[in-house]
Amino acid sequence: MIQHINVHEVLQQSVAGFYADLVTRPTGRAVRESIERALPAGTIAVMDFTGVGCLDYSCADEIVAKLVREKVRVLLLRGTSDAHRDAIEPVLLGHGLAAVCERPDGTLHVIGAREPAAALLDELVAQQVAAWTPGGAIALTAA
Amino acid sequence: MTRLVEVPAQFDDRSFDQFAAAYAQAAADGERLLFDAHAAEWASPYGLVGLLAAGEAAGRREGGAGGGERPLLTVPASAEVVSYWARAGFFREAADLFEVHGKVPKTKPATESEVLLPVTPVRAAEDVHAVVSTIQQRASAILAKELGLDPKATMGFAMALSEACQNIVEHAGSGGWVAVQAYHWRRKLARRVVVIAVADAGVGFRHSLEPSQAKRFGDRWGDAAALEAALIQGVSRFRDPGRGQGLAGIRRYLARWEGKVAIRSGTARIAIVPRWDDDVPLRDGLPAFPGSQVLLIIPAQGSAQA
Repeated sequence: MIQHINVHEVLQQSVAGFYADLVTRPTGRAVRESIERALPAGTIAVMDFTGVGCLDYSCADEIVAKLVREKVRVLLLRGTSDAHRDAIEPVLLGHGLAAVCERPDGTLHVIGAREPAAALLDELVAQQVAAWTPGGAIALTAA
Repeated sequence: MTRLVEVPAQFDDRSFDQFAAAYAQAAADGERLLFDAHAAEWASPYGLVGLLAAGEAAGRREGGAGGGERPLLTVPASAEVVSYWARAGFFREAADLFEVHGKVPKTKPATESEVLLPVTPVRAAEDVHAVVSTIQQRASAILAKELGLDPKATMGFAMALSEACQNIVEHAGSGGWVAVQAYHWRRKLARRVVVIAVADAGVGFRHSLEPSQAKRFGDRWGDAAALEAALIQGVSRFRDPGRGQGLAGIRRYLARWEGKVAIRSGTARIAIVPRWDDDVPLRDGLPAFPGSQVLLIIPAQGSAQA
């Protein structure tokens, strides 16, 4: 089963004040801890960044990298902007981690370290969460 | 007795060492300090936040005749300069740190295009949120129209600003200030630039990194080695491998836009120098100055030279 995380919603619930930006370590920590409480370990999770403004390296590390490293089996990022990915990718690389990213057309690609990257897409296909498209890309089958 | 610290007429990162030398000399015996900005003709955001850091450091010194007393500040003689400093938000912050002498206009910090972010205190994560939110509202049109940056670069700009400010919250052990301005930089570039300046009077990079890094550097350990470790090697005082990404991210962002980053801390200054600048990458043995001062410069791209 795929777990869904609406990051903007979690941000609103986790931090006092109306923030649209994921910046600073304390904010990242609060958001991650909220997510962790609702997320069973070893799951496949879709993390939706729609509505999130600025994402800095501190939050990318505190939320994305730590969830990938310690909590989820596969993390699929949805609704990310170029700027979000600019923050997430170096952080994942720094840890030797990777995450799956959904393009606007629904196809998937992997960002982060090369070594774990290929296994992530294979895992999604093996779990029948994703499948090859006629065009030779991989897209989610559900969710 | 009061010791005089002269504020340079053109007060920016280039003249900062002159100011730091005057500060170090005057502060040595613990007497009360008078910061004399009477002859100031212009100050960059770096100069303004650096002056506030000096004021804070001077006020919290202990011992000596001037220990614990607020330092004095004489405002610039030029009404135009005073007005600009007021619009840049300087006096709003200075009022808490200095005994200000001279007429200061009661004006709100500017909403004009060149002051993207008036001098703003940064003490906690909430302040960083406010800074990031403000800059996105104010800066995106200017970055795109006047500097020719891709509109998407605005988010990277906010990210770099966030990381620079967090450096204060996480490492300084005290509060600090940030200011962002856009102006035409005739002297170096004949182009418009956006300048981010962040300063604090906290513990500085060497002290922050000492427990985890001093042993590794051995005899080389000092302010210069600490700056090198932080900016070039991405080292952090925390054991967590995810730490130290902030400065590396700032470097990446500035490299993409031919920008410059320079950090001064203690007696050293390090810079990533773009092609258009002739700054020195690493200087050591500078006059000691408390805390850390960070300068980010992003020049107009291509033909965008409004």
